[in-house]
Amino acid sequence: MRELLRHPTGLAGAVLLAIIAVMTIFGPLIAPYDPQQFHPLSRLQGPSVAYWLGTDQFGRDILSRILTGARSTILFGLGATMAGVAAGGAIGLIAGAIGGAVDSLIMRLLDGLLAVPDLLFTLLIVTVLGGGSGHAMLAVAIAFMPGLARIARSTVLSVRTREFVLAAQARGESPAYVIACEIMPNTIAPIIVEATIRVSFAIMLGATLGFLGLGAQPPSTEWGLMIAEARQYMFRNPICVAAPGVAIALAALGFNLLGDALRDLTDPRGRR
Amino acid sequence: MTQNTAIASARPDARPALEARAYSLAYETPGGLVQALKSIDISIPRGKTLGLVGESGSGKTSLAWAIMRYLPRNARELGGDLLLAGESLRATSKSQIADIRGARIGMVFQDPSTSLNPTLTLGEQLAETLIRHRKMSKAQAFSEGEALLARTGITRPAAMMKRYPHEASGGEKQRVVIATAFACDPECILFDEPTTALDTITSRQILDIFQTLQEDTGVAALYISHDLALVSRIAHDVAVIHRGEIVERGATATLFRNPQHDYTRALIAAAPRPDIRLSGPAPDIAAPTVLATQDLTVRYGGRSLLQKLMGRGEAAVEGARKIDIDVREGEILGIVGESGSGKSTIARAIAGIADFNGTISFDDHVVQERSAISRSYRRAAQIIFQNPDASLNPRQRVGEIIARPLKLYGLARGSGIEARVAELLAQVRLPADFAGRYPHQLSGGEKQRVAIARAFAARPKLVICDEITSSLDVSVQAAVARLLVDLQAESKASCLFITHDLNLVRQLAHRIAVVYRGDLVDLFEAADFDAQKRHPYTRALLEAMPPPIHP
Repeated sequence: MRELLRHPTGLAGAVLLAIIAVMTIFGPLIAPYDPQQFHPLSRLQGPSVAYWLGTDQFGRDILSRILTGARSTILFGLGATMAGVAAGGAIGLIAGAIGGAVDSLIMRLLDGLLAVPDLLFTLLIVTVLGGGSGHAMLAVAIAFMPGLARIARSTVLSVRTREFVLAAQARGESPAYVIACEIMPNTIAPIIVEATIRVSFAIMLGATLGFLGLGAQPPSTEWGLMIAEARQYMFRNPICVAAPGVAIALAALGFNLLGDALRDLTDPRGRR
Repeated sequence: MTQNTAIASARPDARPALEARAYSLAYETPGGLVQALKSIDISIPRGKTLGLVGESGSGKTSLAWAIMRYLPRNARELGGDLLLAGESLRATSKSQIADIRGARIGMVFQDPSTSLNPTLTLGEQLAETLIRHRKMSKAQAFSEGEALLARTGITRPAAMMKRYPHEASGGEKQRVVIATAFACDPECILFDEPTTALDTITSRQILDIFQTLQEDTGVAALYISHDLALVSRIAHDVAVIHRGEIVERGATATLFRNPQHDYTRALIAAAPRPDIRLSGPAPDIAAPTVLATQDLTVRYGGRSLLQKLMGRGEAAVEGARKIDIDVREGEILGIVGESGSGKSTIARAIAGIADFNGTISFDDHVVQERSAISRSYRRAAQIIFQNPDASLNPRQRVGEIIARPLKLYGLARGSGIEARVAELLAQVRLPADFAGRYPHQLSGGEKQRVAIARAFAARPKLVICDEITSSLDVSVQAAVARLLVDLQAESKASCLFITHDLNLVRQLAHRIAVVYRGDLVDLFEAADFDAQKRHPYTRALLEAMPPPIHP
């Protein structure tokens, strides 16, 4: 942790994420107005003392909407990634540890899925399941699964031939012990790194789905949806669109920088 | 060696070919400045070889990099100078250095497979140096390259020029690297452990070639190695480096005969001496046989079902063929051979981690396939691997690692486990608080002790040691070997001791088996090693080995 804060990229990512975390946890409490409350007399206003970031087409306070929207946006990213890691990690671990025909079969299937771009894949799933925040999250998790499974599997393969695993097999340990106690603890680090970077993609995918009307539904303050709702008015008050856009970019950047730093720090070649 | 002196004096230039004057180097790390070299003074005249001896982390490779001007960005030169024929290398500009590298200073690294480019033929790589520095045309460079290869003892140089690195053996590749180093008639060549990655017989040939070439060309050489016996054979002068400081230097014969510094003495004392036995007398002939193998054969690779159906893939390779060995109770059987000879394969089959054909009779078990090996067999036969960095799980504490066999085989329960772990740590001479540490917090020798403790925790009847000292520094090797012998004698376990180090195996083993390309070619009592009736391969191994040093 201390090393992470000494790493310049890591520090920048951590600072950004700390701000995002405060918004996620305390957003609704520190928001100056009710994010859903209409102020018909002050529609599409620029920044002022009363409304720091101005108001949207219904006169709702943009700052309050951004602050409350952090929670749904970030939780979407984290939730989708975690579900993807759990499913993909488990599949990769099993494929890598069992090997042979099972491995070949699973990996060929996943290769097929990998050929489809993430966005197209999520759109496909949402179209089949129907829109909404929950379905969108599930779709992103499924889209992430093949890539994460591939990373988990390749890590398992490199660990599986290490001598401490051979030593365990020579002792007569059960396959379950070998997987759970010898292999798994040594595969966590690369998966965490990959997952951290993926949270940023999940946030962007979620925002994209929200923008397309396939993710979060009004009156949610999800940032992608905010952009979609305000886009007709973006020439009358650019902040309506710019504020959620910048928020999405900063959140994604924060996770991305942190992931990069984690990758540098866990790479043994970069350490002494 | 008198020829060298003649050549050196024939050239009027009396300045040493390579010199370091009070040279100091440090690395910047997050923890502060770490000094790698402290006021190094060396001087190598033309036609001479200086052996630089030190253990890993002593700074010997840092010095080579500094001379080649390949310093990493965090390196800080604190003072002194490096001189090539009297010219300061520190004062030379980057473009001048590029002209010096390869032309006036050659370098030969440890592993020829990483120092050659896999996408170019050997000929192209050799010719490149000639074209770059000696301004030859391509045709000239290729014919000169062939001549150079012929001088390094390659029998068909024209064919070798056309091959890619993966089509040549390790010895052949190292000959190409040496030919490249000599290509531009340099003033000085740096050798960084050039034979460590090669087997005994090949490295002997490489050293002979180097000596002949040096006599012909009068090049000065800095020969970096951890192997005292080897350095004593090849170097005119020796410098001993310890923690970045040269602690002793002198003419080779004098230094080894009469070492002054404590560290030099310790290094020499740690080198294996076959005339001093570490293990006790051989067990009685009547002692029961613990392990016997019959027609033990191990195959590698082979085609998968899919490849067979499609008619592709390669047939299996036999790693070991019809091996018959037996080990008596309390006996140490040494297995020697070159890398790839199949000695580790045999170990892995007996330890139950490689599929085999044939019969293994061990203790009261008779097994004919890997899946028939029971847990009680596995408890009684423990294996220790070469590299403790790989054989200890980096995410487990030392205490957990040693306790695992106790729990698995039900050898201790509850608080008994902790007590037994402490006892085992004491047996391998490690403090009890090491139980709470992770492997990366330990030195190489300490890690190997942990691996030994884990093996003996199971109270085995047979301990299989697969090159357990080869990844350790010389001074640690002897201590680990001694520890193993003590534990083995105490526990009356039998031992299969696999190694490529003939001097070491003669100190330990009661009997010695020699494997060559998967076959058991010789098996004899340790005392009969020198006998004339030995298999020709055993004799070749013995001749290729550098003679042990005797202070």
